[in-house]
Amino acid sequence: MTALLGYHAALLLRSQRWLPPAVLYGALLAVGVSMGDPLLDSLGYAAAALLPVAAWLVRICATQEPPAARHVTATAAGGPSRAQLAVLLTALAAAGLLGAIGTVLTVALGDAHSTDHTVEIPLPGALVSGLLAAAVCTLTGAALGALCTWPVLRGRALSLAALCLGALLLLVTAGSPARTAVSALINGSHTGEPPLSVLPLTGAVVAAAGAAALSCRLSGRRT
Amino acid sequence: MLTFHQVGRRYGLGGPWVLRGVGLALPAGTLARVAGANGTGKSTLLRLAAGIDAPSAGRIEGRPRTAYVPERFPPALPFTAHGYLTHLGRVHGLSRRTARVRAERWLDRFGARAHGETPLAELSKGTVQKVAVAQALLAEPELLVLDEAWTGLDAEARDALDEVVTERVAGGASVLFVDHDPRRLAGAVSAAYEVSGTSLIAAERGTARVRIDAEAPPGTKLPDGLPPEATHERDPSGTVRFTVPAAHSDALLRALLTAAGPWHIHRVRPPAARER
Repeated sequence: MTALLGYHAALLLRSQRWLPPAVLYGALLAVGVSMGDPLLDSLGYAAAALLPVAAWLVRICATQEPPAARHVTATAAGGPSRAQLAVLLTALAAAGLLGAIGTVLTVALGDAHSTDHTVEIPLPGALVSGLLAAAVCTLTGAALGALCTWPVLRGRALSLAALCLGALLLLVTAGSPARTAVSALINGSHTGEPPLSVLPLTGAVVAAAGAAALSCRLSGRRT
Repeated sequence: MLTFHQVGRRYGLGGPWVLRGVGLALPAGTLARVAGANGTGKSTLLRLAAGIDAPSAGRIEGRPRTAYVPERFPPALPFTAHGYLTHLGRVHGLSRRTARVRAERWLDRFGARAHGETPLAELSKGTVQKVAVAQALLAEPELLVLDEAWTGLDAEARDALDEVVTERVAGGASVLFVDHDPRRLAGAVSAAYEVSGTSLIAAERGTARVRIDAEAPPGTKLPDGLPPEATHERDPSGTVRFTVPAAHSDALLRALLTAAGPWHIHRVRPPAARER
């Protein structure tokens, strides 16, 4: 698995296909997070921005090998499911790395007080809280990405439309782990208490595992 | 030993069956050839054997360490030849050093040593195909699946691949291949199959085949009613070389003579008059 992860990571890095989603994330942060903003609000925004980015990275990783190269890799890896799992994990790692950088930057820039500037927020608590929310959004986005790309959804137009619509819905629909984690941060910003989104994280892990299982299972059934 | 039990494959729920009820066993040291007309499911069969496709019906058991060479390997990967081979060698389970050493050795054997550090995107089609072949061989697989792997290779590399395949089979590996040239490894093939309709049938070995060269303007559709046993390859010049078992050569000629398109038959060569 290490070799497969290394191969897919090298593919992602050398093809420079990671750049557009990274630039999107950077742009969203640049627009939405400025120095002196209430910290937990900014962390909620930064986590939300990560969801479409993670989904996009999964789509990139899942489609960056031409079919013949994918067949070669699948054979060498001892089956397409292993190869597909490596694809998903590579994208997840890339999104996680972006999210960690974004979260740390947001913590560094934000004002560690509640929205009305009355309650001081402990920085370590805010960092843990932000990383948890980022993890929830990364996993939810990765699950969405896995469901919106080969082998689950084929066809570029359909895949992109489903990806954009899905990202929007996951951020606004009550009950989605991403929306719950982001709301918790925004509410926390009012009270001055950094939330620990453990339940949404559990939900996101289950969703990501389910989407990955379906994606890996279908990888040998679609060409 | 790789064994197919009543394997079927179709694409999509309720799609037509491409293959159905296929039984196949490949003991160690088998050199098996699969023939059949274009679009009959030869590639699907090979992908099932390589484990890339999962069967829709039946089961496949006992897959050994396998490597696969596709017909046309795409150069659209951001690696040098060595870089790609080292990555793939590691995926095959080799150490980085072993992968590198073997990558060099196999590129050398196929006359592509000088291109090791060239990005794949800058290599000629034939050299990229050599990289795809090297990828499979550096793993020293127990089962080698070759889907027209010879296509695009120059004459020396084709001969080198013939040699290597023979060596691997002698060393106890099994090889399953498709090639449009019916004489490919003809003397060494130990099992021959043909995809006919949706089934895999054992073909008679050494069936005499007739070659018919015909010409039509580029882009002309192949005539209807070609015998399914016929294989063909197009030259860039517009000549199409058909190869067909002797028993079906009359049917092929009839199809060409009665074709709607402007087909012109150049030459018919019976099995005995064939030159290599």
